[in-house]
Amino acid sequence: MSIRIGIVGAGRMGLTHLAILNTDPRVEISSVADTSRTVLDVLSRHVKCRTFRDFGRLVDEDRPDALVVCTPPTLHENVLRAALERGIHVFCEKPFTVSARLAHELADAFESAGLVNQVGYVNRFNDVFMHVRELLDAGILGRVQRYRTEMASATVTRPQNGSDGGWRGTHETGGGVTYEMASHAIDLVNFFLEPPRRVVGTVMSHVYSRTVEDIVSTTLLHDDGCTGTLFVDWCNRTVRKPANRIELAGEKGRLTADQYSVRIWLEEAQPDLDLHEGWNTRHVTDVFRPVPFYVRGNEFTRQLRHFVDNVEGNRSNGHCTFRMGAETHDVIESMFEDGRRNGGMR
Amino acid sequence: MMEPVDEIVFGDNQFFGINHMSAERAQQQAERFRDLSAITEVYRHALDAGIRAVLLNTNERADAICDWFRAHKSTLPAISWYPSIPYPHKYANLIAEKGMLATLRDVLLQGTGASGAIGMMTKGGLSLLTRDEIRAMQMLIDIEMRTFRGLDVKVIFLQNIVTDLMLGLGAVRIFEEYCNWIRRTYGVTPGLLTQNLPRLLSLLSEAGIEDVVVCSSFNQIGYLMSPDVESYVEAARRNDPQRCQIMAMSTLASGAIPPREAYDFINRQNVQSVVFGASSARNIRETVSLIDLRYGRAALKQSAAVSPERRYDAPGRLARDSS
Repeated sequence: MSIRIGIVGAGRMGLTHLAILNTDPRVEISSVADTSRTVLDVLSRHVKCRTFRDFGRLVDEDRPDALVVCTPPTLHENVLRAALERGIHVFCEKPFTVSARLAHELADAFESAGLVNQVGYVNRFNDVFMHVRELLDAGILGRVQRYRTEMASATVTRPQNGSDGGWRGTHETGGGVTYEMASHAIDLVNFFLEPPRRVVGTVMSHVYSRTVEDIVSTTLLHDDGCTGTLFVDWCNRTVRKPANRIELAGEKGRLTADQYSVRIWLEEAQPDLDLHEGWNTRHVTDVFRPVPFYVRGNEFTRQLRHFVDNVEGNRSNGHCTFRMGAETHDVIESMFEDGRRNGGMR
Repeated sequence: MMEPVDEIVFGDNQFFGINHMSAERAQQQAERFRDLSAITEVYRHALDAGIRAVLLNTNERADAICDWFRAHKSTLPAISWYPSIPYPHKYANLIAEKGMLATLRDVLLQGTGASGAIGMMTKGGLSLLTRDEIRAMQMLIDIEMRTFRGLDVKVIFLQNIVTDLMLGLGAVRIFEEYCNWIRRTYGVTPGLLTQNLPRLLSLLSEAGIEDVVVCSSFNQIGYLMSPDVESYVEAARRNDPQRCQIMAMSTLASGAIPPREAYDFINRQNVQSVVFGASSARNIRETVSLIDLRYGRAALKQSAAVSPERRYDAPGRLARDSS
């Protein structure tokens, strides 16, 4: 019996997820909801599924086993609550709420209902970052004492007229580089280390946007004494696609990783991991694992296969759960607060 | 019977700071190829090595490159062009900013060159057009193909992010309409770039779509090959090149495989063509000397009845049609 999945929000991410899930033999895409009739009309000519302009009707009439939610962030809460009431598992795009309190509340609710819950922090499924996590679990760096995490994209590359359109225009609706980009960089820190508990020195600045920040930087403080800095800029025209880079320094060595390679420097060789003393480079071509279907990157497929695996096995404690998403929101809210203390937007 | 594709096609990733393995290397390449002359020098090396086919994506440098080839046509050997459209990153940020439908409207409006009163009328027409995805696709193809006017186009490839999205959706009709438009309007062979060769070949075969070229990553480590290398080898082995020819790309897996080893593997596969990129005369010559697709091309009976003049001057109008 197939797992029936409904897609809510058929924008760029919604269509990507639809294409990937449609290739999973365990899955039947049973329905799609979107507010645009044009989008639904086009879609229904090419994909066999029911379409709805209202997600409420989708959940009631189609009764899917799981939802993939790709609406603007402020709409997530209503969709997630409707899913919760009807016992539907949820994969939700990031940022999955615009409030840390709400994020934890939803995490609690999905956990106690035993429903699968996952947020689309795709870096956790990237071949290189997964390898880094394995190396850290094997203890190659010892205790990590400091780090630097950066993210760059060419998302906003010219002056924005008036308010920055739609939901991308305010923090309340999930807009700005902190929600849209830094959330990935923070989640990557949380993937490798225990989440930071405090932030200091947060600065948010405009480059092209008028109502939200384009660059954010901060210092993150962890309970165990580890500290890190974060710098995220979405006006960076030198990158073709969003690019994360993280440098970690520990007692026994250091490493620098991006989506394509990791360079590792070790005080002592680790023969069981085939790592030499000094420098070691591993490229994505050395560490990748193939996925059954490719569109836009292995990580996109891998995160959805993980979701379907969990729905199939009825496991609500997978990778990248709502709880992990909520922990990212804790950091984001601390940054907003700290940024305001430091004089607000520059 | 399909017209055989060129055995060796010269690619373009090396010019545009695209390197799947290293951002630093990509930057070095972008600096090196800042001037068009640095790019055309490499094309000259490729021509000197005997290559007569070029695959070019419609990125921001494509217009200048095609201008140069048009301007030097009389002094250069005849070259077959393999455009790949569209350049996805050109649209990705626009889509992130404005949404898909607004982007589509903007691109069509800009591309159709409408302005003033005509623009206003066209705008109304355009919002209707976005509801007709097939017509919108045809217009987008024509806008993209302007870059290649006056060049001898042999195959027009649909870029892999689009192909694979449609493949995942199972949108068979889009593939049919794409292939029809390319044949009808340009009189050339339609091509599809993909990272999912076995799945695409199955879909084409089930839909009865023939006379296409499929270009896909193909290397022995299985990099950018879904689901895996074994399925690729098997799908290629079972493929009939009279119906669908296979072009291998990423044969060196972004440099992870030494060339000799890479082509020892490729030469044993049922592939009819290789597209590769390199930046030095030495590497180009070495690669050309290593590629030997006699096995994969044995089934391609060279037909004399193919390849009339395939020039066209403007999208939608073949030179031979207008005469």
